[in-house]
Amino acid sequence: MREKRTEIKKGIILHEIETKAFKTDLIAVFLTIPLTRDNVTKNTLVNLLLHRGTENLKTQEDINKALENLYGATFDYGIEKTGDNHVMKFYIENINDQFLPQKDSNFQKSFEILSDIIWNPYLEDGQFKQEYVNGEKQKLERIILSKIDNKTNYSISRCIEEMYQGEPYGLYKYGYLEDIQHYDSKELYQHYQEIMKQCKIDIFVSGNIEENIERIIKDNKNIKKLNEREPRYIPISNVNKKQRTELQEIKESMDVAQGKIIMGLDINDSEMSSKYIALVYNAILGGTANSKLFQEVREKESLAYSASSSYLKPKNNIFILCGIDCEDYDKTIQIIKKQIEDMKEGRFTQEDLDNAKHYILTTIKAISSEQDTEISYYFGQELSDQSLSLEEYRSKIERIKKDDVIQLAKRITINTIYFLQN
Amino acid sequence: MQIIENSKVKEKVLIEKLSNGLTVMIIPKKNTNKKSAIYGTKFGSIDNHFIHAIENKEVQIPDGVAHFLEHKMFEQEDGTNSLDTLSALGVEANAYTTNDHTAYLFNGTENFEDALQELMNYVQNPYFTDENVEKEKGIIGQEIRMYDDDPVSKIYLNLLNCLYQENPVKLDIAGTVESIEKINKGILYDSYNTFYSPSNMVLVICGDFDEQEILNKIKRAQKDNQNNEKIKRIYPTEKNKINQSRLEEKMNVSNPIFAIGIKDTPVSSTERIKRSLIIEILSILLLGNSSPLYQELYKQGNLVGEVNLEYDFSDEYAYITISGQAKDPDNIFDRLKKEISKMKQNGISQEDYERIKKKVYGSYIIEYNDPAEIVKTFLVDYLHGIHTFDFLEEFSTISKEDVENGLKEVFIEENMAISIIKPKD
Repeated sequence: MREKRTEIKKGIILHEIETKAFKTDLIAVFLTIPLTRDNVTKNTLVNLLLHRGTENLKTQEDINKALENLYGATFDYGIEKTGDNHVMKFYIENINDQFLPQKDSNFQKSFEILSDIIWNPYLEDGQFKQEYVNGEKQKLERIILSKIDNKTNYSISRCIEEMYQGEPYGLYKYGYLEDIQHYDSKELYQHYQEIMKQCKIDIFVSGNIEENIERIIKDNKNIKKLNEREPRYIPISNVNKKQRTELQEIKESMDVAQGKIIMGLDINDSEMSSKYIALVYNAILGGTANSKLFQEVREKESLAYSASSSYLKPKNNIFILCGIDCEDYDKTIQIIKKQIEDMKEGRFTQEDLDNAKHYILTTIKAISSEQDTEISYYFGQELSDQSLSLEEYRSKIERIKKDDVIQLAKRITINTIYFLQN
Repeated sequence: MQIIENSKVKEKVLIEKLSNGLTVMIIPKKNTNKKSAIYGTKFGSIDNHFIHAIENKEVQIPDGVAHFLEHKMFEQEDGTNSLDTLSALGVEANAYTTNDHTAYLFNGTENFEDALQELMNYVQNPYFTDENVEKEKGIIGQEIRMYDDDPVSKIYLNLLNCLYQENPVKLDIAGTVESIEKINKGILYDSYNTFYSPSNMVLVICGDFDEQEILNKIKRAQKDNQNNEKIKRIYPTEKNKINQSRLEEKMNVSNPIFAIGIKDTPVSSTERIKRSLIIEILSILLLGNSSPLYQELYKQGNLVGEVNLEYDFSDEYAYITISGQAKDPDNIFDRLKKEISKMKQNGISQEDYERIKKKVYGSYIIEYNDPAEIVKTFLVDYLHGIHTFDFLEEFSTISKEDVENGLKEVFIEENMAISIIKPKD
């Protein structure tokens, strides 16, 4: 196992990934809490506010200058919906010491900045600075409005919202316009403190670091101040899934040159092991250039440039995406449905299966060739309370037989067809 | 075989020019199981007028041929499609076309040699028929429609239309639904025979393998070259002046987005690295996220998020783009012009200069993290007549005065334009 997992305090996990493949060290801190309609917008505002300043680096300008002085270390942050959790993500990537023109300790300095951004924010009168709150509220407004800008992402978001109405996963990850003005600086700071007290904390460090990482993290003054916790988060599992009895069809009009079909499929199987079969199923259906969708919709019928599907593990769904001329809607839907039927009937070859498995096996092998991908993999394991090594993951895929895929295909139903049209 | 090592980033590259004229670059990389290959030709959307290499006649082709050709290269005479073949080998294959080059690539963790063989095979063996050319028009038509809905593509295209009067860099790389209608197999073969000659191409691979052995395999898979004539490209004469300084369009977007461009004069390949480093430093000093102007505009709520700073250059064009999302793009344009003239007057502080130089240096080290990025960078630089390691080496030759002179020479108000996309009412 490349990952060394240490609980540095109850509820706070350090994951060390030692690798010599990169010129950089990557530090990631993930804070996980259950996502609700009530906290979604607040969480995003807190996430945005933290990058504005720390007690030591009071402005964004100060932070950015400090990063530039570390040979262009880069800070990044964001918020994601993972299953029914909201995950705040913070990253710093810095050049590894051995590639600096002179000796330095970039990792330690980077972690200090990152931990200050998260746990030592700049405060005035015991709350977030008013100017920063106003600015980030405006920014969030624009982020939420910009949902329509990328038509593909917009369509996927809309399909998920329709599929998961009234459930946490159906929430828009950045929150809602109407909430923004409800929160003042004081309330946001209180919310911040609550998150920090209760959230699950995962710290990832990937790189070829000579210093004692665990020591540096444990000795950090911000980490020392953190309380032990019984973290509140929702482990990713397949149970408690609501089922739709009849297919829902949503059409939405916008001034677009190309129509987008998003079809959301349910996999009605609560076994954890079915997730591996679902990966193979998806690869055959629309995951690669050899897939049924790519071949039938694009190559044979010339209906689309994009025709693919992807599997979303946390909620066990497959989403099909096709960008088409609006008038080809019925024809395309028919072809897609035929592919889903063919999967149930086992109308795919052993070669299709082997290609799909091979494709997944190579993507698993490639996980460790990107630092953030490897971190995401181990975080996925962490949230599903598993500790599957990459080798074990591979062997689960290797064992899958054609009949496993057919049996799973029979439990797959179309939940929602969303169409963005002219 | 030429071996160049770089002590700063601790990497090396092996370069060999094969007897058929192809340049091969191998970057050995241990400690990673990912391997990447890219095979490219100096043929992009701007190359639409040239002298046919074999028939020695002048040819003018419809817009979008380089990109169309890229799509069609995958189809083989035996009915197979190389994208499927590569996919079945478990590698991720792709191809792309830019204004000045086309490249075919794959990344993977296994079957590297078989995949490399397939890559060289399909790029060297075109197979176009009336039928397969017709079929592709539907697919590319949908690709063009997809970009029609993409405000980011539109804003760049509009910007290039502001900056350039004649140069075909201003045309959409994929062409238009109308222009691709005129493409037929004869046009594709004419273009292929002219631009896909080995001396106009480069193959770059990166990963952990036996370098000599892989080089021998490459040599064996390369065809002899029938023509090694220098390609004669015909471009319109581009004036220094820009076409127009502002272009606004309305689209289905939430917030206004903008791209500010500064038209630069292409310089010879020996000067390109230094010029691009200087421009990079200057762009960050002016509107990078630690700059006073960025901070002011962000605090005012005018700018949302970071600003993208880019410098694009080739033999025929060179321009800077500064793009982002803003409430009032015209105000940003105005403020930037003022900041430029202020910086020209007051000069650059030593502290700012040193700090930004460190940042830029780091960004060139990071480029060596991922084999897929490494091969792409080496390919693009090679096609631009420069060597990738030289970015790290030329750093030490740059002075603050060079940067201040660059500001006066390149950041000229008359050469600036803004493209804006505003939400529909």
